[in-house]
Amino acid sequence: MRPAGRPVEEDDLHARIDGQLPRERIEDVEAYLAAHPEEQARFSQYAQQRLALRAAFSAQASEPIPNRLRVAHLLAQQRHQGRRHLAQIAAAACLIVVGASMITADAIAAYRTFSVEVRHPVEVDAGQEAHLVQWLSKRLGRQLVVPDLAATGFRLMGGRLLPAEDGPAAQFMYENGNGERLTLYLRTGVGGETAFRYHEEGGIGAFYWSDEGFGYAIAAKADRDLLLRVAELVYRQTSPDGARAKIPPALEKPS
Amino acid sequence: MMPTPTRALAADESHRPAVAYCRSGDAMQDQASLIEAHIPGLRRFACALLRGDRQGADDLVQDCLERAVSRWHLRRAEGDVRGWLYTILYNRFLSEKHRQRRRGVPDALMEVAEAELPGVEGGQDWALEHRDLLRAFAALPEEQRSVVLLIGVEDLSYEQAARVLGVPIGTVMSRLSRGRERLRHYMNETSMGTSGAATQS
Repeated sequence: MRPAGRPVEEDDLHARIDGQLPRERIEDVEAYLAAHPEEQARFSQYAQQRLALRAAFSAQASEPIPNRLRVAHLLAQQRHQGRRHLAQIAAAACLIVVGASMITADAIAAYRTFSVEVRHPVEVDAGQEAHLVQWLSKRLGRQLVVPDLAATGFRLMGGRLLPAEDGPAAQFMYENGNGERLTLYLRTGVGGETAFRYHEEGGIGAFYWSDEGFGYAIAAKADRDLLLRVAELVYRQTSPDGARAKIPPALEKPS
Repeated sequence: MMPTPTRALAADESHRPAVAYCRSGDAMQDQASLIEAHIPGLRRFACALLRGDRQGADDLVQDCLERAVSRWHLRRAEGDVRGWLYTILYNRFLSEKHRQRRRGVPDALMEVAEAELPGVEGGQDWALEHRDLLRAFAALPEEQRSVVLLIGVEDLSYEQAARVLGVPIGTVMSRLSRGRERLRHYMNETSMGTSGAATQS
């Protein structure tokens, strides 16, 4: 006699020992195990292993948390460093700002050159997105992520490779329903992590930041608020923490 | 290393480090208790990733917490603090691994050196008692170790584990299945008195 539901699979058997099996599946799975003693034996070994691992690791849970991992300590340290290194940070910021202004200037120049192109705004169009990403990732030597800007009404047109000071840069171009264009310019080998910085030149605005070895610049003939929204959206999708934590667009205010 | 104040600049794009938010005492207390509840779990996860290197594991946890504290305002407000913290820790682990690889530390060497370590070192009885199992666990490939721990020990749901590791849920399930089978294989071999590692993957 076969159970009514879909066939019982390996995943169901794991879900059973992890307590993640939906209630309506329990009966099918139990019936399956009763009919397959070898599976029953294998999974009871898994279940025993699982309990033994929990026991082995649980001793660690009862150990006191060392002071260096206490949040109060980390916060105090951060404030302390904030004051102590203010001068150093200011000096480092100067360097970063120099680097930033160059990237921003390049990004704005590239926007000015290509955003007006009617026939060839991009080298590889969005229809071949997988190829585009693969190609540019290969040339820049790092895996790139093409952010989805649909939330701001912009969709990807495509991208191109550009020469930059000490290696290649990539430009992704987006367009909205009104035909307004926006570019994401990025370059690798950029040290440090910086906040968003805004720069405007000849009616073109740009936000720049760096993170995880990438320098990013968003450029468009658009107002600052829109650019900031796009920059935040891009940051969330490209920064590993931001992307996986799925931080929503509505950011809470620091209290 | 400077914390990254990504959103703090809506009003002001100057290069002001976001290290000194004025937080009320309550908010700070709230942040501390929300984070600290997960520290034992983060230490276990780090320890599993680093195959029992306790010192290195606490360094990794500290790195993760420093980042979490400086980016506290970027987390999902209503969201899952635990998943967010585990994600940060895993990302820090991966980027450290990439950095070592770029520095030219040969991968195979690292693996062997690490694999020599029993899962958890120390004279504690529990460590001895579970030594074989922890050694077998430490010998699993990293991707299987993470999944077996996050699901079997930390009680993350399959979806949560997939988010933390940045892989599809199907990948989580197949790693879980392969990891558990490999562990069973090792343990059965050990109990039969034969040595040697399983070669299946």
